[in-house]
Amino acid sequence: MASRDVVSYETPFTRIARYASIVFVVLYLVWTLLPFLVMFMSSFKDLLEAFKLPAVGDWSGIGIFFEFTPTLKHYRSLFVDNSFATYIANSLIAAGGSAVISVIFGSLAAYSLSRVDFRGKQDLFFWIISTRMAPVVAVMVPLYSIFRSLDLVGTLPGLILAYTTFNLPFAIWILKGFFDNVPFAIEEAQMVDGATRFQAFRSILPLVAPGIGAFVVLCILFAWNDFLFAAIIGSGGAKTLPVATRELVQPQNIQWGAIMAAGVVTTLPMMALGLVIRKYLVTGLTMGAVKE
Amino acid sequence: MTDTSHMPLVPHDVGTQLFRARSHSVEVEAKPRTEVTERPRSFNPPAPKRYYFYLMAPAIAILAFISLYPFFWLIFLSLQDVDIGGGKWVGIDNYVKLFSDSRFINGWILLLKYSVICLAVQLTVGVMLAVVVNNSRYERFLVTALLMPMMMAPAVAGLLWLFLYNGTFGWYHWILQSLGILGSASILARADTAMIAVIVVDVWQWTPLITLIALAGLKRVPRDQLEANMVDGASPLRNFFSITLPNLYPVLLIAVLLRFMDNFRFIDSLLVLTGGGPGSATKILPVYLFEVAFKFFKLGRGAAIALTLLLVTIILGKILVRVFENPKSGRS
Repeated sequence: MASRDVVSYETPFTRIARYASIVFVVLYLVWTLLPFLVMFMSSFKDLLEAFKLPAVGDWSGIGIFFEFTPTLKHYRSLFVDNSFATYIANSLIAAGGSAVISVIFGSLAAYSLSRVDFRGKQDLFFWIISTRMAPVVAVMVPLYSIFRSLDLVGTLPGLILAYTTFNLPFAIWILKGFFDNVPFAIEEAQMVDGATRFQAFRSILPLVAPGIGAFVVLCILFAWNDFLFAAIIGSGGAKTLPVATRELVQPQNIQWGAIMAAGVVTTLPMMALGLVIRKYLVTGLTMGAVKE
Repeated sequence: MTDTSHMPLVPHDVGTQLFRARSHSVEVEAKPRTEVTERPRSFNPPAPKRYYFYLMAPAIAILAFISLYPFFWLIFLSLQDVDIGGGKWVGIDNYVKLFSDSRFINGWILLLKYSVICLAVQLTVGVMLAVVVNNSRYERFLVTALLMPMMMAPAVAGLLWLFLYNGTFGWYHWILQSLGILGSASILARADTAMIAVIVVDVWQWTPLITLIALAGLKRVPRDQLEANMVDGASPLRNFFSITLPNLYPVLLIAVLLRFMDNFRFIDSLLVLTGGGPGSATKILPVYLFEVAFKFFKLGRGAAIALTLLLVTIILGKILVRVFENPKSGRS
């Protein structure tokens, strides 16, 4: 018979702890989700309504927040007055391109690193992972100088290459973990049956496919959300969503409505993707150190 | 009576024979084996190692171009005085100047202060949250709701909080004001509160990561230990501190190191929110570096600063990788 839970009885202390924890979670949830609520609502409000606040200390006036007539004019201004469709395309190409490059070369390298042993492998590994951990600004100083001499600044290929600096090491590191879990015996069996080495490699790809898929999504997430690379390397010709959103802040005129709408446009797809790869999120964000 | 005292107990020649035999055998063993011929030529395909290196080569080549080459370029840059026009060799002058640069030193102090406070708050709140959420009836929903801030682009998060903090129409400003915490000036406008404001944003966005990591760790806390402790009459609080927390320690260490490095890596939200201001109250080192390199385009000076930043990150990374490879850490 399966072991049963130890029965614990409610004491005054645990009761207080239970209520306290409920209050804590609810407060924290409100704190976490309130900015999202404000962003979504404000993107549909006219500016005059978005700026309305109750008097200081007037807690009963919070209802003002929900009183407005929805308008789509901020979204219209994004796509008509500003060319956000282009920026979305830029973001997609830069993020997708770097994810694809990283996953193709990364999986090859990860596979071979997982199957072969040689002297200096640990050092190679540390070099790969330290590339991923380096501060973005520090990486960008020489990269900017090199890219400028190659005329890559302000172009999408330049941005793709820049994103690859952190996505490729990440790919190698994470995917190696996935390949390590696939026994070599499967490839051996394939080769005994007459498959070439490369065919054997292809035969185990379906086994790591979920990992690779989740990883592609993570790469896209990182690149899509990036601001610094896009602001410096992509400035001019390859404007991505976060940079374009930031540019709505002008010294004389901060277009808050449009900023909120742009925030929604930038955030919603990533929230959806985050839910899709929820299972791999912890593994991905901790670079494979913690598994769920 | 014959005098036998000069005679050895063991016959003399036996000893020499033994000695000879031994030295002889060593001599034989030391001889090179001349009969061994070359190995027969293998009919198998070439050593697989080479094949794997071919697979690795493209990735390594790309990495070399985008990380190794820039790294040496960075060192080269740091020895020059670079402007828009071109460079002039100045040797270690850039480094010497750093020591008398108060903003550089101030940047390091602020960076450490920022990272440590962020981490302390995130750890406390994150672990508390994980313990409360763990095995709750609504765990799936709660975790999903909690991880939302992590999906937002940090730059967008910065803009959103700029809106919320605004002195005339920001809702958070209104809440803080109504609670009597803040006067009419925005939290971002004053030097002593601006740091708190940027820390709050970082806490908002990244506490969920700590919670997720801690949750993964909590699932692995051995149940039998907890139950045994409870049978022995330990209170839940005691249980937490003597069983759960020690078991959580390795994952939390990873979380701490990761977050610490991320605070060095990402300055997106801070850059958007305050840009280092007011004055230089939030000008942590990466922000200062950004300013030097990409506002004033002093790439040489920036390179010197970047190298000091890189050095610290590499040391942190070395520690992190060691923790990763420790079997006691999170890897199951």
